[in-house]
Amino acid sequence: MATMEEVYAEKKAKAQAMGGPEKLARRRAAGVLNARERVDKLVDAGTFIESGLFGSSGSRPEDHDRSPTDGKVAGFGKIDGRECAVVANDFTVMGASSGATNGRKIGHMKRVATSRGLPMVFLGESSGARMPDHMGARGMGALLGNDPTQYARMRETPWASATLGLSYGSSSWYAVLSDFCVLRKGAVLAVSSAQLASLAIKEDVDPEVMGGWQVHSEVTGFADHVAETDEDALAAIRSFLSYMPSHHNESPPVHPVAEGSGAAMANIAKLLPERRTQVYDVRAIIRAFVDAGSFFELKPRFAKVAVTGLARLDGRTVGIVANNPLSRGGAMDTDACEKITSFLVLCDSFNIPIVMLVDNPGFSIGVEAERRRAPGKIMNFMQALQLCTVPKISIILRKSYGQAYLNMGGGRNSDEVAAWPTAEVSFMDPTFAVKIVHGLSPGEAGFDEAFAQMNKDSEAWGIAAIYAVQSVIQPQETRDYLIRMLEVHRQRLTNGVGQHLMRAWPTSF
Amino acid sequence: MATIQIKTEVSGSVWKIITAVGETVEPGGTLMILESMKMEIPVIAEDGGTVQKFTVAEAEAVNEGQVVAVLTK
Repeated sequence: MATMEEVYAEKKAKAQAMGGPEKLARRRAAGVLNARERVDKLVDAGTFIESGLFGSSGSRPEDHDRSPTDGKVAGFGKIDGRECAVVANDFTVMGASSGATNGRKIGHMKRVATSRGLPMVFLGESSGARMPDHMGARGMGALLGNDPTQYARMRETPWASATLGLSYGSSSWYAVLSDFCVLRKGAVLAVSSAQLASLAIKEDVDPEVMGGWQVHSEVTGFADHVAETDEDALAAIRSFLSYMPSHHNESPPVHPVAEGSGAAMANIAKLLPERRTQVYDVRAIIRAFVDAGSFFELKPRFAKVAVTGLARLDGRTVGIVANNPLSRGGAMDTDACEKITSFLVLCDSFNIPIVMLVDNPGFSIGVEAERRRAPGKIMNFMQALQLCTVPKISIILRKSYGQAYLNMGGGRNSDEVAAWPTAEVSFMDPTFAVKIVHGLSPGEAGFDEAFAQMNKDSEAWGIAAIYAVQSVIQPQETRDYLIRMLEVHRQRLTNGVGQHLMRAWPTSF
Repeated sequence: MATIQIKTEVSGSVWKIITAVGETVEPGGTLMILESMKMEIPVIAEDGGTVQKFTVAEAEAVNEGQVVAVLTK
């Protein structure tokens, strides 16, 4: 008779064998990591403590032997020394489909993460709800809807997700509920499979066209980051979490200042073209003043008129929101409003001060903009900005016009507003103003007089004179100014913790 | 080899084409410059590639989303 130790060893080996050698070999040949390899690459070596290793299908005893861990590897591990909760879908076990036991495992991970203040990581790859378990009225009643907080995101701790294969159902839900969502090329994030979609709409659906990396990085904006490989995706999650606090009641961690930080400041002014009609890539300016190598852009291929990203200044996390004239002159459209809104909610929820860089000709307007609900999107953005309780500093690099002046932190919509001497601030182009007010076009009688009246001084000195910007700074002073002002505005009364008024706002817009 | 259609992000007119057919452009490289909203707006090949043809000429008006060049990579 087998000893207790032998029985234990056999059961453990079986549970850790996942879906068996054949399926695992196929994945390896395709260059794709399995669930356990993913966890190993995600967390610090030797820190993973598993929860639910001996779980298996709870609904159907006949599935017990073919459902090790019930298809989802769960547990706790450290990332750069900080504790995290992890759920990694094991697609080799029944397609990592959602079942009764693994639902309890996810629920436990989320509850521990929330109550103990741990970031939560989801590694998604799942075929969706398990069948036949969910079929029929009893299946539905037993398996779905029994947790009234399952999808209630209150942002107590940061969530990061990677979609690393075909992902349908709850695996997709957790991806878009996360604060950071990375898609690996070749993965698909969708409500349900292309096969089911084809049956429903009676036409062939290509999974990649439906939910591949291009769709989610360029069209939906769900993907904050695209990775070439599983390893890159896991590294991106580690990077993202390095900027984040473990929970909402603490400040983000302070990192050593990278060597070479600030070295580009002497030449930063050269990154702004002399001719005002020329555009430039604002990301070059951001990279010049933040700590060397610290700029981590989010959603780089979505709404490119606006840049959002995390960075460090003097070792401390900041969130950067910038207009990018390189794309459409920097004129923000509804996608840009949503991109910025979602980023402001992220920063404010996790005590990350915000730095805004302004150079735009105003919001993108027109029939299409209105049909896309521009007023609503502009106000969601504006409301998010005004509800932020983290420090906000806005720097006007060049143009700041109209309502976008307010949305980009103008006036008392930032704690401090600074302008480069190149700033120009006004309500609208004076030529348009003459046409609107007087109905005159260039060349018509009276235009020149009316133009002279409208063409008021738009230079930085005028707005500085009435203290509506607090500082005019030279471009090369930007880094020192920001570091010093962020120090001034540190939230001492609450140990750097804000009020999180948007903690229950949607996680995608 | 994949064919990449390059579309404009804005309406405007083609000011200058600064690459040539057969030329290989690095990812993020500029193919041509449009004039729009009184600004010089570059048309960028996000992923790079080799220019197969241009579907517009200098001084021509272009609409948002119009294909202006075809690249292969």
